[in-house]
Amino acid sequence: MNRILYIIIPGILLLGFGANWVIQKADRSHDIPVIKQVPDFTFYDQEGQLFNKNRLVNKITVLDFMFTSCTGPCPLMTSNMATLYQEFRNVMEVQFVSITVDPLIDSESKLKEYADFVGVDDDRWQFIRSDIESTKDLKQNGFMLYSGELPQGHAIKFILIDEEGNIRKYFDGTDEASQAVLRKDITNLVKELRS
Amino acid sequence: MRSFRTFIFLSTGLTYLLIFIGGLVRVAGAGMGCPDWPKCFGRWIPPTNIDQIPSHIDPATFNIVLAWIEYCNRLFGAIVGLTITITLFLGLKYYSHLPHIKWPLISAFGLTLFEGWLGSVLIHTVLNPLTITLHLLFALIIVMLLLYVSQEAYYLDNPEAEKDSKYPSNIQGLFGLLAFTLLFEVILGTEIRGGLEMIRKDNPMVNSQFLLDMLGPFKYAHSILGFFITGLCGLLWYRLVKQSLNPSSLIVQTSTGLLILIMIQIILGEVLVFFDVIPLIQLFHLWIASWILGIISVQYCAWKRSGLINE
Repeated sequence: MNRILYIIIPGILLLGFGANWVIQKADRSHDIPVIKQVPDFTFYDQEGQLFNKNRLVNKITVLDFMFTSCTGPCPLMTSNMATLYQEFRNVMEVQFVSITVDPLIDSESKLKEYADFVGVDDDRWQFIRSDIESTKDLKQNGFMLYSGELPQGHAIKFILIDEEGNIRKYFDGTDEASQAVLRKDITNLVKELRS
Repeated sequence: MRSFRTFIFLSTGLTYLLIFIGGLVRVAGAGMGCPDWPKCFGRWIPPTNIDQIPSHIDPATFNIVLAWIEYCNRLFGAIVGLTITITLFLGLKYYSHLPHIKWPLISAFGLTLFEGWLGSVLIHTVLNPLTITLHLLFALIIVMLLLYVSQEAYYLDNPEAEKDSKYPSNIQGLFGLLAFTLLFEVILGTEIRGGLEMIRKDNPMVNSQFLLDMLGPFKYAHSILGFFITGLCGLLWYRLVKQSLNPSSLIVQTSTGLLILIMIQIILGEVLVFFDVIPLIQLFHLWIASWILGIISVQYCAWKRSGLINE
């Protein structure tokens, strides 16, 4: 019996140290590198208020490109975004921004109507618009996303932006597993921001 | 025959280790480290670089550390599966005439296949909480079956074991109650863990202490049942060690071991409640619970054997 204890106790200690190492390694693996700065832009939200780069400061932002009459992947993206919007309702540092790629149709009032439709009841989720050229420019050069044939050919990415306006990561806005990772990454960025 | 004994012991030990590794995957948050099954990012060996990810999988889900943690779990699972298969093969070769060895082995093998399949369901349902609990429950059943066969194999080589011991004959109910309460306690524990994760998902930034308070009734039920189990184990120790004639050293040592493990469990549980939900402690809290179940099963077999050969 004593001989067995001599094997078991060091074995368990070893397992404990190993497991601790793995857990720490897993924790640290969530560090997210900075990709690039979001360039300056001047857009307007559904209330007609100016929305520029300053509005990203001191917030963790999840941003996507969509248009309200889209029947392709957008409903799924909007539904995923709405889930996140509800989940983070008590975390004031987190905001959501949807940029319309169809500003001709998506007027201020149309965006406001859409915001109501998806259940937005505070200022944590903004729907913003500008002219089509500025939108294309921001999408292609600012966010490095394809913007050949707008509105249909818009990207389905969610973009995670930190409190200094840095793009940190891209996510598939339609994929469930990506949403789980995004959720964790938002939480990690908020923790970083608070510490 | 000796090879069978080696393999059944090996299977049992490795399955215990696999339960530990499975718990580690859970507390490290690596369950979705590989978003597909059985391959990992479409490869038999996970990618080491983001360029190796196939186009139909979103590269944003790739985290090299989590992918390799989950991959090691699957690899180890495959090794355990193989070991159990060899054990089954040897068991059928030597002991197909002994139903009490043959059938538990076949059941353990079948459940192992089922566990592999359940692992794939976990990935496809993006870690459905009920499936996670089932995945653990079946692992516990498999390890108890393997322990039972190990013990029976040991008795085949040591026919004198438990011959001189005489235990109280009316403690079958105590064993049953203890096993049932323990399993229920494990499920309650996983519910607390799942509940913590659920609330954390809805309120990502609140601290663990506040989360535990929100889980009030579950937490208290788990603690109260824990003290009830302590009482039952104390009673079992008293009946098996104090009220028996010549209890075997296996019974004496496992009874003492059981009480020590229960004490450790209470301490670990209270640390989780009063200090912080520390992943490493969560992991050992669950793993030790699987040992306790194993010990109860070993004691039950020894007690039953003594009753049979002393009839």
